[in-house]
Amino acid sequence: MKSVFLLQWRRLYRAPVMLVFLVLTIVFVSLLAGANSENKLTVYTFFDSALTDEGSDAWLEKLNEAELFEFREAQEEEARQAVFAGEINFAVQLMNDDYRLLVAADDPNRFLLENYVNQVFAEELRLREAEQQSSGGEIRTSVEKYMADPPLQAVTTSLEGEGSFKQEGQLQVLFGMSLFFSIYTVLFSLMNIAEEKRGGTWDRMIISPLRKWQVYLGHMTFCFIVGFAQIVLIFLFFHYVFGFDLGERYGTMAVILGCYTFAVVALGLLLMGLVKTPQQLQAVIPIVASAIAMLGGAFWPIEVVTNEIMLAVSKGMPIFYGIDALKGAALYDRGLSELLHPISMMMLFGVACMGIGINLMERR
Amino acid sequence: MLETEALRKVFNGKAAVDGINLYMEKGESVGLLGPNGAGKSTTISMISSLVRPTSGDVMLHGKSTVKDPSQIRRVLGVVPQEIALYQELTAYENLIFFGRIYGLRGKVLEKKIAEVLELVGLADRQKEVVKTYSGGMQRRINMAAAMLHEPEILIMDEPTVGIDPQSRSHILETVRRLNQEKGLTVLYTSHYMEEVERLCDRVYIMDHGRIIASGAKDELKRILSGEETIWIDLDRPYPKLLSSLQMNEEIIQATETEKGVKLIVPKGARILASVFQEAEHHQVQIVNVNVQTPTLEDVFLHLTGRKLRD
Repeated sequence: MKSVFLLQWRRLYRAPVMLVFLVLTIVFVSLLAGANSENKLTVYTFFDSALTDEGSDAWLEKLNEAELFEFREAQEEEARQAVFAGEINFAVQLMNDDYRLLVAADDPNRFLLENYVNQVFAEELRLREAEQQSSGGEIRTSVEKYMADPPLQAVTTSLEGEGSFKQEGQLQVLFGMSLFFSIYTVLFSLMNIAEEKRGGTWDRMIISPLRKWQVYLGHMTFCFIVGFAQIVLIFLFFHYVFGFDLGERYGTMAVILGCYTFAVVALGLLLMGLVKTPQQLQAVIPIVASAIAMLGGAFWPIEVVTNEIMLAVSKGMPIFYGIDALKGAALYDRGLSELLHPISMMMLFGVACMGIGINLMERR
Repeated sequence: MLETEALRKVFNGKAAVDGINLYMEKGESVGLLGPNGAGKSTTISMISSLVRPTSGDVMLHGKSTVKDPSQIRRVLGVVPQEIALYQELTAYENLIFFGRIYGLRGKVLEKKIAEVLELVGLADRQKEVVKTYSGGMQRRINMAAAMLHEPEILIMDEPTVGIDPQSRSHILETVRRLNQEKGLTVLYTSHYMEEVERLCDRVYIMDHGRIIASGAKDELKRILSGEETIWIDLDRPYPKLLSSLQMNEEIIQATETEKGVKLIVPKGARILASVFQEAEHHQVQIVNVNVQTPTLEDVFLHLTGRKLRD
């Protein structure tokens, strides 16, 4: 087993195609997750004809204090056309003392937007009413002074912990993309088995005193380490370079990554059992990897999916459990005992795929 | 030492090998001759424990290797038909790996690698990547990888396919030396009749998954019931001479060729004197006479009605 394992590293050293792929993956994920980390959601904003220019600017300025949204002034026609064409999911119409949301599709951000705009309007209107009720015009200044050091503070926190929306968005991209690209690395590494079978070196090993399980284990261990190392490197890169907060559950995350990588290696064995040539495997890998990532919630949070069938299918994807468990550990500080379900599901997936895959390969 | 008992392999309902019985004594060099698709490679795969037979057995020193393949794996070296090497690695790195899987380590492995590289004449090119080698050099390393653990039995499955004459000659000479000087038992398969004639003491001829003839080379050649072929080249075509030769009762068959006539006669028949007399009588000049004894190719043609490379 050791000789087969060491051979794979020697082959990687001599033909470091996989390393180039690994580096490219890190660069790609860096760009995607790095660019996304500072993104604000643009909201097309148009004004009621009764609203004065001064009033419009005041509302826009207040709304643009938001961390998550950027309210961009637009013509009513332009905003309506963009919503109608599906280019954006929503727009806001501002009135003197009210607002309207123009919504094309349900989206979790819509609720966040509605809450935010509602809060801004409620506060402002309350202040205006207070100004009207009071004799002097100093109430707004007094409130602002008070708010600088409020006598009473309400801190809102999630039952799950302290994870913010922004942090969750960053980690969604990081976890989703890292797990997605690791599928390529692991499956392309496993192609060595298919190539060895075609080239005849596999037969040479089989008729040597090596046991077949040793040959398989040598290959699988190599693929596991390559896949695992890639994800860890990406995580470290984002943690130290971009300052992503991965929490403090490093051990738990390592266990989750181990289970996930095992499941992907097993998936690779299943695919090799199903196809007949390395060329077929080469064609199948991108299709399978993309399908798993899309269905399992690597490209977007699974929460945005409303279709019951898609949600049911996602439960069959190891990446779904991988992302779920990683978020649990990083955002909500969950330990292994709390993440037993996703970890068990990944292990179950791995064992089933490996059993069927090796069986299919050996039948040939 | 090694024998097969009614070895049979069926793929998708079709018998690729159908009841093969063969044996090899220690130090023997045995040829397995047959055209493409005769079942040679499948037979070798079963003997080397790569493929499990549908029925029958392979016995090494009287013990079944089908039941316990580990015993034959330790003493067997197989040179496969394809170049089963890691193309991106150097010859040395390939040999390190193939030595390790046979349990060789450290100085012993280094010594063995040096020996086999010397044997195949590539010691000075060992640090080069295999894919930069010529086809012949790759085949030599292919053979070296099978020799590292000093096997008692060497199975070679068409090891000279598609290589230059120099490498081919080197491989054949190496095998001959290993067999004659070191007493290595060799099972050599080929559809190049001249290689088998040159290397092997005994020959099995296979066709359609069965052994259709076996024995020492001379025994097999005697299958051709003692006939000889005489090629006579003439200075010009002369139909009257051909007619008179066809009338000769001692000649089995006389046919016209591009250069003259071809006669098939009983082996040892003293026919040449009468042929010269006839030529003198018809005032024809004989340019060349060639008397040919049968080859294994002729034997194969006789047995199957096909040429080896058909």
